Amino acid sequence: MRGKRPVFFHDSALLCARGLTPATAAAALWRGECSAKQRRVAPHCLPYQSLPLPESDWWSRAETALRQLAAQLSDLPPETPLFVASSSFQMGGFEATGAPFDLPAASASFAPRLADWLGLTGPRYSFSNACISGFSAIDAAATLIADGLLDEALVIGVELANNTTLAGFAAMELLSSTASRPLDRDRDGLVLGEGIAAIRLSAQPTNWRLAAVRTGLDAHSLTGPDPSGRPLAEVLAQTLSAAEMTPAEIDLIKLQAAGAPITDLAEARAIEQVFGAPRPPLMSIKPALGHTLGASGVVELVTLLACLEHDQIPATAGFRTPDPEFSTVFPVHRSTLPVRRALLNLVGFGGGLAAMVIER
Amino acid sequence: MKITLNHLLTQRLPVADLGNEVRQRLGKPLRRASPLTQLAVSGALACLPDPAATQPLALLWQSTYGPRAETLALLDEVCCGAGEPLPFDFLASQPAIAAAQLKPWLPCLQTAHHLPLDDEAQTQWTLMLALAHAWLSEGRYAQVLCAHLDIADGQASGDWLLLRCHSEHPPLAELSLASAAPATQARDDRDFPAHLATLLAQPSGRDRRLRLQSPALPKLAVEFAR
Repeated sequence: MRGKRPVFFHDSALLCARGLTPATAAAALWRGECSAKQRRVAPHCLPYQSLPLPESDWWSRAETALRQLAAQLSDLPPETPLFVASSSFQMGGFEATGAPFDLPAASASFAPRLADWLGLTGPRYSFSNACISGFSAIDAAATLIADGLLDEALVIGVELANNTTLAGFAAMELLSSTASRPLDRDRDGLVLGEGIAAIRLSAQPTNWRLAAVRTGLDAHSLTGPDPSGRPLAEVLAQTLSAAEMTPAEIDLIKLQAAGAPITDLAEARAIEQVFGAPRPPLMSIKPALGHTLGASGVVELVTLLACLEHDQIPATAGFRTPDPEFSTVFPVHRSTLPVRRALLNLVGFGGGLAAMVIER
Repeated sequence: MKITLNHLLTQRLPVADLGNEVRQRLGKPLRRASPLTQLAVSGALACLPDPAATQPLALLWQSTYGPRAETLALLDEVCCGAGEPLPFDFLASQPAIAAAQLKPWLPCLQTAHHLPLDDEAQTQWTLMLALAHAWLSEGRYAQVLCAHLDIADGQASGDWLLLRCHSEHPPLAELSLASAAPATQARDDRDFPAHLATLLAQPSGRDRRLRLQSPALPKLAVEFAR
């Protein structure tokens, strides 16, 4: 965008089911690791991608996770503005405390505690737009940096274990009882996961630039997108246009693809509409990390950047058989082709859509 | 490009009246919608009553208390009941879905961002107005609705500002990033819309500028000028 400052990705941090740093998570993805634990929420026992942290009191575990995240970030000035993306905030903490539930007055009252654990004293802004929360927060922070109102910001995605979200998704019949199988003929639902990640945005140049991020809205249904993929395709096209790039200039697409029957179908059709053929390699991170909901935008961005740091595009675990409804849209086998430009896509519960283009 | 304030709306009504309010706007009830969603739909449609409007619209809305009663009901079901909640109770606890229920009545709505607040004493009007200014200036949208919506103590409250980058109608005020010109300072709290309304109601010649500045981030500042 003319007259705007470019926005870059500085250091990042990650704790996810596959590891407690971006590098360890990327290495685990490259090895194809995707095993999930089980989490019981009556009457179900469901696969769940938990953080590899010792089970303890919910609040202590959350503090441990956030302090480990902070330790991965170098020289973070305490006054750095903090943008928080989450779907469930401290819901697990309420569950752990138990009835009678004593909710704080302000709905994002977890954010000051997160800031404290991260050692930050500057302004805080919270975003809760279901699964696109991370890109909403990045969009806001990047807009202010591009306009010169901020020089840098820390965006974190936080999704920690809780039964309320798991039970809610189970009640909506959106979860798989076995595994996440993105784009696969036999996919039957999501596997949820825990994850926290941080990405530092800055006006100072680094290796990777945020070329564009755009959000959209698909009101087809509260729980899934228009199967035609048209609203999704519109957001993808808007994002490419904002990045001033053509589909042919994209080297890799990180899909939403979580294994949901209708969402994967809609996303595949949108990819067909926007990219035609031949199209760039496709991948999904969710079988390995679980769907980390409000954190997924930041968690998957940080994971992808770590993979691309070593020119390693991992295979998408869980995919075996192409779906005959979109038989030419399937994830790439693991690849070491260099990626200069990548597109990341998100599809949110409740109709939120978001896409991002990053450039090396 | 000139960014203008074209509508300012204040809603204060008992939660029990929200159903009637929505029915009057839509001509029928809004099924399976939480009170927060009903408040969002009635307020947005009051600001933009023409369903044929096609100018791309973004919605930025903040809430102090969020879907508090619905969250408590959900926690009760999951922690004290059988474990699996009723699907509607789960949906009602998810504020992000309000936009999907609004879009069929406002097809020009292209995106929505929900900002839950972490302090009862503060709001994020400065951030939302700065984002609206940026997105309208770059042509990403033609209009942005900024709102503060809450349900508390049986009362529904909504404060709405409609910003546009061009308008056929005379605007109420112009929005810009803060200048060095003398201006009345407003606090970024739930009373900000009332202060703005006061500015707009004053006879010409009195205070003409109202500045809103982030206390923690002085560079983040906007002002309205009549």
